[in-house]
Amino acid sequence: MREKTVFHRRKEGASLRVSLSLCFVLVTCSEIAHGAGGSGPVKALVFGSEQNLGKIEKNPSTPFLRYSPDGRLHAVWTEDHDTPWSPATSPAQHQHGMGDRAPSPMRSALLAYSIDGGKSWSSPRRINDAVEAVQGEENGPKIVFGPENRAYAVWSIPGDKGDKTRANIRFAMDEGKGSFTPAKTLNEVKDAARFPILELSPDGNLLIAWIDRRIDNPKPRQLYLMQLDPNGKELTKNYSAGEGLCECCKLGVALADGGKTVYLVDRQVDDNQVRNHVLRKSIDGGKTFAAPVVISDDGWQVPSCPHSGPSIGQDSRGKLHVTWFTLGRTEREAGIYYSVSNDGGKSFAPRRLVHANTAPEILYSTLAVGSDDTAYLAWNNLDNNSKAQVFLRTLSDDGRPWGPIQQLSNTKGNAGRPVLAVSKNQLHVAWTETHGEESQVVLRSAMVAR
Amino acid sequence: MSNKKLFPVRLPTGSAWLCAGALALTLMPDVGRAQHAQHSVQNSAPTVGTPAIPFELRTLDGKAISLESFRGKPLVLNFFASWCDPCREEMPLINELAAQSGNKGYSVLAIAVEDSRAAVTEYTKESKLTLPIALDLNSTVKRAYRIFGPPATFFIDRQGIIRDIIIGPLTLERASTALANVGLR
Repeated sequence: MREKTVFHRRKEGASLRVSLSLCFVLVTCSEIAHGAGGSGPVKALVFGSEQNLGKIEKNPSTPFLRYSPDGRLHAVWTEDHDTPWSPATSPAQHQHGMGDRAPSPMRSALLAYSIDGGKSWSSPRRINDAVEAVQGEENGPKIVFGPENRAYAVWSIPGDKGDKTRANIRFAMDEGKGSFTPAKTLNEVKDAARFPILELSPDGNLLIAWIDRRIDNPKPRQLYLMQLDPNGKELTKNYSAGEGLCECCKLGVALADGGKTVYLVDRQVDDNQVRNHVLRKSIDGGKTFAAPVVISDDGWQVPSCPHSGPSIGQDSRGKLHVTWFTLGRTEREAGIYYSVSNDGGKSFAPRRLVHANTAPEILYSTLAVGSDDTAYLAWNNLDNNSKAQVFLRTLSDDGRPWGPIQQLSNTKGNAGRPVLAVSKNQLHVAWTETHGEESQVVLRSAMVAR
Repeated sequence: MSNKKLFPVRLPTGSAWLCAGALALTLMPDVGRAQHAQHSVQNSAPTVGTPAIPFELRTLDGKAISLESFRGKPLVLNFFASWCDPCREEMPLINELAAQSGNKGYSVLAIAVEDSRAAVTEYTKESKLTLPIALDLNSTVKRAYRIFGPPATFFIDRQGIIRDIIIGPLTLERASTALANVGLR
């Protein structure tokens, strides 16, 4: 009886040890999945279901997200313009190109907002007043918001001859009245600019940058800027802030120190067609820039068009987070990379691979930095069915393991060019899904722990 | 006795814990689905001396077109996009090669990648292009040919073997060499 009791207790002890060990494993797994903070791995986020923005029959694409100072989440996207497509021209005809009229490149830029963190959206309103071919993808519309419900938008349209590569930067603003002013062109030399970005300084002035080819020789393009006051009036003429840019790769921008410090990132092209990324820093509000600093010597040499630019964000500690795509010196290096600067952009830590390329194609990445200094990266890559999907990873540079790679889309077509917006409580990811000639904008949101 | 009641009864067995753990991770679909993606590109690149990869696409005007439809003639297969600077630089030459192709016994096909029918149609009008153009709307051909950014041009001989590959903008001199490599003088 006693032996039996001892044996039983040993079994109980063994069972307890096994149970506790497995409990530890489960808790560890749970921490990976749910994130317990502290010294554990960075959490994975739990996203809500997919939402669509825009009218599906108008092929919405190219979303851009931004919070306004009053806490509303805004989304901009482009859609087919009403005029060229009569009601008789069905989406099916559009898809197969069998309509009796030629497909039109005319697109509208639309803006909607959400007051409940992306659950529901206002009716969209048009940003561009004219019928024009608003460009998309990396070249899509961008928006910022000022006090008193002011909104400022930039986008790109092809030049007079329809050339997207010799385009024009358009600007419109809403003075808080609920409608946008007629658009004006910002580039002083016509048919020479594209890939616009804009940021609002805390003093209310606007900084707008783009890639400019007004001087077509030497071929690598120039970085041009201009500044507008809160009423949209010119504070400066167009001015050059650098050269040697890849002509088809988007720019990234981050402001600091009340707008006095401006960080711009771009993909460079050297004489040997090597395309590394650089950071340009201004400490006078974007008037002048120091010599560019190479973020990572990736050594990707390519004479064709990478059309994938970097993204930058600054955290509350002043650290600069950057992500980009490169093929590297061999295809085995190909993927989405990340680096951080702890010294205000003087130098960058060795690059770290975020996600290896599963796709024999260019990938697109972006990042956003939360108020708790967490960096969120989103990009596209191929899934096991050779469909491009959107992925997300939550990073920390404080020594904790990064969060797991999360697949956010599950499209039967292709998903790509994700954009991010983060508030104190929520992260939003939006992207374009295409299937044949149809496209749609998808958005998912997740709570972010503080 | 109390221990006997507490632990063996209330704590699941090891396998149950494993099941629970697996279930917990499975219920995080965003995480579970993502992990497979951590590998690098496996499929091999088309190279000189290998057969061209078959494809089936539709042209701008909706006609079906395939690699097979060019068999028996050398083919200049160009990948481009309307938004791509170097593509626009080389396109007049590609268009000229297409204009001459009937007399010289070869074919030219330009495949638009990461582009829309509307944008490519506009581009062909604006640039007065007359060459045959197909749309790779789902990026399948682009991926099969491993186009890491357009332009890229493949010169394929009568037997369907790739004889030259030019990444980046084509020049007249380079085109002449490439045409010679597919048996054309």
